[in-house]
Amino acid sequence: MVVEVKNLVKRYGDLIALDHLDMEVREGEVFGLLGPNGSGKTTAINCILSLLSYDKGEILVFDQPMRPTSYQIKKDIGIIMQNVAVIDELTVYENIDYFCGLYVADKKKRAPLVEEAIDFVGLNDFRKFYPKKLSGGLLRRLNIACGIAHKPRLIILDEPTVAVDPQSRNNILEGIERLNKEGATIIYTSHYMEEVEQICSRIAIMDKGRIIAQGTKDDLKNMIRIGEKITIECLTGDPNDLIDAIGELPFVASADAREKNLLVTTERGHNGLSSLVQIVHDKGIQTGRVYCELPTLNDVFLEITGKELRD
Amino acid sequence: MFFHLFIYRIKSSVRNVQLMFWTLAFPILLASFFGLAFSNLNKADAFSEIPIGVVKTGTFGADSTLQSHLDAVSSESDDPLLTITYYSTAEEAETALSDKQIKGFLVDDADGLHLHLLSNGLDETITKQFLDWYLQVSASVERIVRTNPSGAPAISGILEKNVTYITEQKTGANAPNSTLTYYYALIGMTCLYGAFMGLDQVSCVQANQSPAGARLNLAPVSKLKVFACSLCAVTLIQYLTILLLVAYLSFVLHVDFGNRIGFILLASFAGCCAGVSFGAVLGAVIKKGDGIKSGILIGSTMTMSFFAGLMQASIKYAAIKAAPFLAYINPAEWISDAFYALYYFDTYDRFFQNVALLFAFSFVMYLIVYAIMRRQQYASL
Repeated sequence: MVVEVKNLVKRYGDLIALDHLDMEVREGEVFGLLGPNGSGKTTAINCILSLLSYDKGEILVFDQPMRPTSYQIKKDIGIIMQNVAVIDELTVYENIDYFCGLYVADKKKRAPLVEEAIDFVGLNDFRKFYPKKLSGGLLRRLNIACGIAHKPRLIILDEPTVAVDPQSRNNILEGIERLNKEGATIIYTSHYMEEVEQICSRIAIMDKGRIIAQGTKDDLKNMIRIGEKITIECLTGDPNDLIDAIGELPFVASADAREKNLLVTTERGHNGLSSLVQIVHDKGIQTGRVYCELPTLNDVFLEITGKELRD
Repeated sequence: MFFHLFIYRIKSSVRNVQLMFWTLAFPILLASFFGLAFSNLNKADAFSEIPIGVVKTGTFGADSTLQSHLDAVSSESDDPLLTITYYSTAEEAETALSDKQIKGFLVDDADGLHLHLLSNGLDETITKQFLDWYLQVSASVERIVRTNPSGAPAISGILEKNVTYITEQKTGANAPNSTLTYYYALIGMTCLYGAFMGLDQVSCVQANQSPAGARLNLAPVSKLKVFACSLCAVTLIQYLTILLLVAYLSFVLHVDFGNRIGFILLASFAGCCAGVSFGAVLGAVIKKGDGIKSGILIGSTMTMSFFAGLMQASIKYAAIKAAPFLAYINPAEWISDAFYALYYFDTYDRFFQNVALLFAFSFVMYLIVYAIMRRQQYASL
């Protein structure tokens, strides 16, 4: 096990930031920590890294207890923080070299690592630039390079795509997948469910300092009652006239009408699209677009907590 | 590792525009301003003989005592006070006075000795003091001789006896210079501005003060080791900036520091240590934003410099007189006084007292910083 968190409790006065948190991260996986802002993701990461003190619990990294002075363990960890953590007065190259030098003292060994990190994040053309001259996306890439240059076995990324444009976000996500393919174990925290769904092999959903569900994305989606969300556009007639009839179908979890659209949620394991379309046609209503959506992690979060992930 | 951290800290500090402005550019600008403002101050303080006229009327020659006193303070004497031009009529002296060839003239007419002056000023006051002193002494002597003739032989002895109630402190060969207090206080202020460097270093290694500090805390190296390397680097930078300032003062503005260069370097180093350590304590103790910390730093260092005589030299002496305790707790005063003692006195007691105070201050500051920073984990970030 790369990271093992047992019964972790962290309090800020009366506020319980981490409430008996249990978590395991396995070698070679991309582990996603998903939760709304304030759910305790960053606090959990900071406790794992021994940056924050905690009230109760046990943390093992690479099967050894994690302490602030566990320098042998720290050598194998790379951290990419939510806030860009670079030095404004050093160039791109110097920043990466400076932080890499904290892990790799030998300059000859360090130089190729720094070059590789620059290549990896695509900052070759900007190596002599100061951070203030970089765009937000490039700055995030520099932040990543500073965290991974020393080739860590465990990389922790704490919301690395906050305030990043879509193109840079895709670059970052692709980079994380590449790092994982090269053998690094990844812990990725985010409140963007699409990102977590895209890159994580296993996901833990956090709320109020607790993990409320965890598993693969399919495992998580199988935990909830709802199956597909079907939308039928009614070109003629009123979709409200269909709600009672559709609501009586055994596989329908809910039915609703919104403007010209009929919105139906089926129960997990059922589709029933053909039955629904048949009912609509039987009522003499002409249909336009008809489409199905699989449940998302937001649906999982909604069903478990009763609130939207982005609340 | 030490060399790696040391070099990068030097690079980042030297490139920090705000840091270099306060520690190098601002003191040099201020020194240049002082140079402009004080360029004529010493010339004004320098004493030159006062040109006065004496009207030689018929009665003037009769008073040989006055003539002998005038001779004693005129250009022919060893320590001249007056340059005397003799006129035969009051009208000629009046013309010379109005032409500003002389500051005033003496005339001895039927009503007695009179001094005619054109305006008020230092030279006029000195001339008038001289005449008043002469009249007072001559009147006293005349009264004693008239009322007690037997005491007359003792008069000259009493008048010549000079009693002083002040113990003289032996000074060196350097000439007194009223502007030095300002320049020495400026060096004190600049040393204390090393606090900006100390403040910055704490911020760079504390996880709860900067993201870079948080990253550093996650690295497999003790943050105290990183901090010690950073302090060495910034103390060196600050020391070099002080030496640059001293060189600028000495070679460009011609401020006299005496010739004890080794002790000047020692005082500068002690001042740098005090400044950097003071900033480190502020950074470690105050858990506020950078703006508030900088404000507190500038406010406190300027206050200390103010009481060391940076804005007005007399404040330094007034503060010492009113609250001597202030001088014992003010690092800016220790620094400026170390330079002052080095310049004026042959002995080193006062200099070493100040330097010892500066090193002791630095040691205590670093103890406080260590007590705060040795903590490895944070309750919150």
